Amino acid sequence: MLLEVKDIHVHYGKIAALKGISVEVNEGEIVTLIGANGAGKTTTLKTISGLRGLTSGRILFDGKDISKMPGHKRVMAGLGQAPEGRGIFPGMTVHDNLLMGAYARSGNFDKELAEAYELFPRLAERRNQAAGTMSGGEQQMLAIGRALMAKPKVLLLDEPSMGLAPLLVQQIFSIIEEINRRGTTVLLVEQNAQQALSLAHRAYVLETGSVVKSAPAAELLDDPDVRAAYLGGGLGHEAPGERA
Amino acid sequence: MFNDFINQFWPATIDGLAFGSIYALIALGYTMVYGVLRLINFAHSEVFMIGTFGAMFVPFTLGINSALTGFALVGVIVLMILAGMLASAGTAVALERIAYRPLRKRGASRLAALISAIGASIFLQELFALVIIPNVFDRPQQGRVQMGLPRLMERTELFSIFGHTVRVDQVLVIVAALGMMVVLDRLVNATKIGRGIRATAQNPESAVLMGVDIDKIIRMTFLIGGAMAGVAGALYLISYENTNYFIGFLFGIKAFTAAVLGGIGNLRGALVGGIVLGLVENYGAIFFGSDWKHVISFTILVLVLMFRPTGILGESLQQARA
Repeated sequence: MLLEVKDIHVHYGKIAALKGISVEVNEGEIVTLIGANGAGKTTTLKTISGLRGLTSGRILFDGKDISKMPGHKRVMAGLGQAPEGRGIFPGMTVHDNLLMGAYARSGNFDKELAEAYELFPRLAERRNQAAGTMSGGEQQMLAIGRALMAKPKVLLLDEPSMGLAPLLVQQIFSIIEEINRRGTTVLLVEQNAQQALSLAHRAYVLETGSVVKSAPAAELLDDPDVRAAYLGGGLGHEAPGERA
Repeated sequence: MFNDFINQFWPATIDGLAFGSIYALIALGYTMVYGVLRLINFAHSEVFMIGTFGAMFVPFTLGINSALTGFALVGVIVLMILAGMLASAGTAVALERIAYRPLRKRGASRLAALISAIGASIFLQELFALVIIPNVFDRPQQGRVQMGLPRLMERTELFSIFGHTVRVDQVLVIVAALGMMVVLDRLVNATKIGRGIRATAQNPESAVLMGVDIDKIIRMTFLIGGAMAGVAGALYLISYENTNYFIGFLFGIKAFTAAVLGGIGNLRGALVGGIVLGLVENYGAIFFGSDWKHVISFTILVLVLMFRPTGILGESLQQARA
């Protein structure tokens, strides 16, 4: 197992954001976490990448316990992330943003740069443009390309479809598939459950800080509860305030 | 009055550029720390003050009390600048470690950091007035008295503009300050540590995800800003030949005004703000008399805050709203 999240609890002040989440990701897989706003998907990713501290539980990566490892060291360990809201550096050029992705590495990264520009030809066209002046889709491509610059073993993607037109979402998802095919394991957080479940091998459904279901993605696509709650299949059992 | 302006225009310009360069060097420290932490380091004024004393330490230890020439002069000036940088950068890093980091780690409000800065500022002033100046500089009971620097450099005329003398010390200040600005600009825009600083300023969480050690970047930011204030301190001392434990106060607030005027968070803004402030202050002094210099500066601060709070060049280290 490449990444194992074991019963993690995370608090914001006194409020529990995660109440014992366990997730496993095997090498070569695409695993997705789906769920409504506030279910704890983003917090789970931020905890894995070290931006949030654990109250209890453990995170194992590549056989090592990284629960206490400072966030900035986890990149070198092999965790790359394209964060929620893209998190690009708006005042830097596209090229400098990509170089930031390789900040923790030393040596030559011409090969990774070439690969990023090959996966996202749009970025090559805009390499000297300030990243903050690009469209949302382009910024998302940049965020993913930047994360790949660190040559991660696992790529953590937080809502790559957020705010994008359907055609662009298709494009981004097919690139994610391609990245996975080339050997990078992917952990994907999505509100767009239909897209995420079509792409992923396995999925976890999160509700208010807990995992309520885990199964192969194809099974969840046919699951009546999941369809009702997340795939717009009629009136579900959703609790008030749970959906955005 | 208009005749006065014509007569005094060139001397005021040269003085304005010299003072403006010093404001600009100090302003860099405010603006860099603000860019990375969104915090005004109000103890930065004392970082400048300590820079003047760091520079003073060199001629004091060497026992120099007459003017030097040639290599001896150049050597002493370089040593004074280095000593000023060392003293100021050390102070700035210590401030971050002692006065700010513990608060930051506990997630304290910016108001708490501000109060901490004022406390640190008073502590450092009193430390110099009561301990360092009487003991290190051998002036018992005179910690609060202005301390002069023996004339190191003859005030020779280098050249003249329309019949007005431009002295060698004035040129030294302007050229050295501009040189430091260029070095800093390269450092921030063309090195890895500079990329780390810009990334942290623009999006700290993303910077961590890229493997940037934020604590180290913050330390470097204080160190670089402190070193620039140290250069300012040394240049001020060489040119104006005096200092005291309280000198940081006025220079600190003026440099803060310059940083806001140019656009806080913007490195080039600090340069522009410093030079503009220096010039306006000195031109204004022709009309209203030099007693009104400070009034002019702070009137500018208030006007900028009212009508263009982002300053002349706006925020650019972050470009958060690009």
